[in-house]
Amino acid sequence: MVHQYKNNGYNIALDVNSGSVHVVDDITYDMIALWKKEDKQTILEEMKKRYSGKAAEEELLEAMGEIEGLVEAGALFSEDIYENYIQDFSQRETVIKAMCLHVAHDCNLRCSYCFADEGEYKGRRGIMSYEVGKQALDFLIASSGSRRNLEVDFFGGEPLMNFEVVKRLVAYGREQEKLHNKKFRFTLTTNGVLLDQEVMDFLNKEMANVVMSLDGRQEVHDRLRPTPNKKGSYHLVAPKFQEFAKLRGQKDYYARGTFTHYNLDFSKDVLHLADLGFTQVSVEPVVAPPEEPYALREEDLPKLYEEYDSLAKEIIKRKKEGRGFHFFHFMIDLDGGPCVAKRLSGCGSGTEYVAVTPWGDLYPCHQFVGEENFCMGNVFDGIKRTDLQEKFKGCNVYSKEKCRDCFAKFYCSGGCAANAYHFRGNINDAYDIGCKLQRKRVECAIMIKAAEQEIEMED
Amino acid sequence: MKHIKTLHTRNLKESMKKGGCGECQTSCQSACKTSCTVGNQSCENK
Repeated sequence: MVHQYKNNGYNIALDVNSGSVHVVDDITYDMIALWKKEDKQTILEEMKKRYSGKAAEEELLEAMGEIEGLVEAGALFSEDIYENYIQDFSQRETVIKAMCLHVAHDCNLRCSYCFADEGEYKGRRGIMSYEVGKQALDFLIASSGSRRNLEVDFFGGEPLMNFEVVKRLVAYGREQEKLHNKKFRFTLTTNGVLLDQEVMDFLNKEMANVVMSLDGRQEVHDRLRPTPNKKGSYHLVAPKFQEFAKLRGQKDYYARGTFTHYNLDFSKDVLHLADLGFTQVSVEPVVAPPEEPYALREEDLPKLYEEYDSLAKEIIKRKKEGRGFHFFHFMIDLDGGPCVAKRLSGCGSGTEYVAVTPWGDLYPCHQFVGEENFCMGNVFDGIKRTDLQEKFKGCNVYSKEKCRDCFAKFYCSGGCAANAYHFRGNINDAYDIGCKLQRKRVECAIMIKAAEQEIEMED
Repeated sequence: MKHIKTLHTRNLKESMKKGGCGECQTSCQSACKTSCTVGNQSCENK
């Protein structure tokens, strides 16, 4: 499968199965589009007509020769050889290596779009005890087989509402990792309200990554992220986040926002965060039931595509000017990215990744918390619902009809199972608006790589 | 090549040989928590 598109003056041909990316001229672009449909002689005749007076036959033959070379090298129109491989791969022993630890089902903000139901997750408020957290870490170590790198994300609600337990759990993890030859990568997601010097010092010492929730422009942030007394929270958190990012050396964090139907011009929010000095920025589409007024709709897509396009151009421009920043959803590692097994086997929810509630209940991921039919067991007794685990294990791009012919399948690994379930009632389906936005982002991300290569060559 | 410039990419087919070690970061632990983005994850076993 070859995906062709034009973006920002670049003609791009992505050979999906090999991962090769080619930037081509107009002649080659048109020729590739005809390649599998016609024989070579017919293609040549068609191209001669199309480029009459614009390109000599010699040049057309030259382009044809280059395409043939890439086809022979397995870099264009390469075959999909992964289906059996991934079926075998998904039969491997299940180990758990990543955990979303809900240390607080409570929050000190009242964000309207919160999928966590302002911390309550359709249940009751609650704070994780040290004992439950400790048991969760023990469970993770015991379930991780030979995996060395273990990930624990302190999540909520707002995890800093249970900071003492976070500190004690990190200390416990550090002690245990030595005994078991493991390496804990702790991360934390916070709204910033309780960020102070002591917290910052601790997070800078112990957290491999910190996600700071900040939506962008003040009016955008304040509209959906109010305090319990209905005031905006931007002024409370933005200056602290700026200071914190500086203290972290402008790395290993994300200033992370959500855009909604209310700010379809979200590129302004991304640039606002960049202008505040953040160099690691992520602003992501809200995922919300269609009846919510802030939910994204099909008719919003053209505007959102324009926004991604203009943002991509601005990112290239700023990079050229020496004031570049990273936008999470445009980051793509073409050269050193993940292996095909990772790319095809999904996010790992319900298999290598689980979420733990304050009471120790296990769910396939944070997005399923509160859906009682997805409770898999608890950290004391382990996984009881192995049927659920098997279902999630069988989830990969070949188990999803919508993914089979999608060019982006190696970049999203089949999308989010929770989104598929919430919108379509089936973890092997897909959330269509999410897919469309994902495809647009992949196109922009690859175009940026093409532009960067050009900049490097000019230099 | 005159008509085609190929970007340097990891060969996915080759990555079958020693892939799947599982040591890389879980995608949802990075920043998103609402989508699934693996294309930007780094390989820990190259």
